[in-house]
Amino acid sequence: MTGQMNTSNSNIYLPRETEITAIRQETSDIKTFVLKFKDAAYGDAFTYRPGQFVEFSVFGEGEATFCISNSPTRKTIECSAKKMGMVTQAMHELNVGDTVGLRGPYGNGFPVEDLKGKHLLFVSGGIGLAPLRSLINYCLDNRDDYLDITIVNGARTSKDLVYRDEYKVWEKAPGTKVHLTVDCREEDWVCMVGVVPKALEEIKPTCNGSVAIVCGPPIMIRFTIPVLEKMGFCPESIITTLEMKMKCGLGKCGRCNIGNHYICKDGPVFNYAKLKELHYEL
Amino acid sequence: MKKTVKKEALIALIENLMKDHEVVSPVETAGKGVFYRKIDKAKDVYLGPAFAVEPVKKFFLHPSEWICGCNKEEGTASPCPVPADDKKRVIFGVRPCEARGLVLLDKIFAPDDPAGYQDTSYIDNRSRSVIVGLACSVPDRTCFCVSLDGSPVETRGMDAVLFDMGDNFIVEILTEKGKSILGSLPGTIDAGSEKALEAAKEKTKKLVVKTVKAPDSLDASFKSDYWKKVSLSCLSCGVCTYLCPTCHCFDLVEEERKKLRCYDGCAFPDFTLETSGENPRPTKKERYRQRVFHKFDYFKKNFGENLCVGCGRCIRFCPVKIDISEVAAGAPIK
Repeated sequence: MTGQMNTSNSNIYLPRETEITAIRQETSDIKTFVLKFKDAAYGDAFTYRPGQFVEFSVFGEGEATFCISNSPTRKTIECSAKKMGMVTQAMHELNVGDTVGLRGPYGNGFPVEDLKGKHLLFVSGGIGLAPLRSLINYCLDNRDDYLDITIVNGARTSKDLVYRDEYKVWEKAPGTKVHLTVDCREEDWVCMVGVVPKALEEIKPTCNGSVAIVCGPPIMIRFTIPVLEKMGFCPESIITTLEMKMKCGLGKCGRCNIGNHYICKDGPVFNYAKLKELHYEL
Repeated sequence: MKKTVKKEALIALIENLMKDHEVVSPVETAGKGVFYRKIDKAKDVYLGPAFAVEPVKKFFLHPSEWICGCNKEEGTASPCPVPADDKKRVIFGVRPCEARGLVLLDKIFAPDDPAGYQDTSYIDNRSRSVIVGLACSVPDRTCFCVSLDGSPVETRGMDAVLFDMGDNFIVEILTEKGKSILGSLPGTIDAGSEKALEAAKEKTKKLVVKTVKAPDSLDASFKSDYWKKVSLSCLSCGVCTYLCPTCHCFDLVEEERKKLRCYDGCAFPDFTLETSGENPRPTKKERYRQRVFHKFDYFKKNFGENLCVGCGRCIRFCPVKIDISEVAAGAPIK
């Protein structure tokens, strides 16, 4: 498994000490943490695939699961967290220079090889852009391997859009289009208005030779997949990355399974055909 | 290798073993039943017919154990492994179903696949332990091991096994580890005792009267309201998962920079409750269905076996008498 760094004699639950080298405020309640392993040799050897995730420890508070939101082609490991529960609230109190714990990477990640030679449609809502950002930047850094890239990104309001600095960079990349949408009309907002599935219907992206990669809140996924199917995307060409409560990340603690598959070990990336087979209810 | 051994000789051996081994055995507790305990007096060893309330699982996966420590030197408090307890341990009186439960747990915590995640804490506990089993002689009416490809007199997962023959035990040594502990016992076995043993085994197998005909796959029943019906009386107390020799779901909790692993279970509403308020298993229907599917469908798809050994504990101790064998067998798969 790519990036798996546990040798047979090491404790698989043990986090590695990691320093926060920068913190970016994405929205009022979302921060991105830039991380660096204290053990430089370990950090240099640390590899991952877009879509893989880590267990992030705030010492004394607990662990929570985050995808690595940066591309492995870039130099830093980044995780974005919305202030929600015990661990993420503690995370939002952290400062640059603080030490946290990291273990991973876990999960399958996106099928970057299978996506080669395809048009890519990224559909995201809110913080759901985090795992897609990893893949978007990966594809842009390997631009020749992929055909047209269309990004449809939505948020409740313009203030809830994450990674805003990168939209311009993405737009300027060859063969790449970015569509932004917010749920309700706002003053000075010049992009689209309406929820993500509605925006998709307006944009009418091509389904021929395309793969749709979808991530967002469950309600967005629930309403987006039927729209994609209606446009002609077959279940095999709709990829999503799932989230469930996780503790171990190793397929042992038993809570994140869908059917006989563990999201942490066999996922988090699944295509819609597989999810249907596993009785996954959107 | 089998030999007939006087019960007093076994007790004397245990007394001697305690000098340089940790010895664990079922012990009778006043009014509460039989429990596995670390013993310091060989006479406390209970090798009678009554079953231990808790399975032997807790000596490999403790209900609550430090899985990661914290190095307080130099004030850095960095996370560190918990030093392994490497004291040699002998566990007596382990029943066939429980030993088989360990073989199933091995698939999760000590996977054969070299790319799989090896749980060092579990593996250390396994490798320092010698399992001396005790074949059943009086199965409970809730036992159903035979219909789950098991037997009250089987030896999978054991290093040695004891058969109670009245005044004597017949000891069968199964592995090198077993030999290292029980090899020194004097004795041989005569043809008459061999024959008596085989007859006793056959007799015991016939005493397991309960059967569960779990279908090969429960898949077709997934969406059925059957799961709502069978889980209506469930109290979500979780006793079935705690007392199950194969249930292994856990929680990781951070305390004072150290990490604690605690039993958790699919019966509890907050097992899968997410911070956002979403719960993919919101009612007892989904939670109980998860337990039955994990045992009789998912694990079988992944490992080719049921994750149930038919020990009957979840039936004996369920406060509302839900019977998993009946539930699995009755699932509407057509």
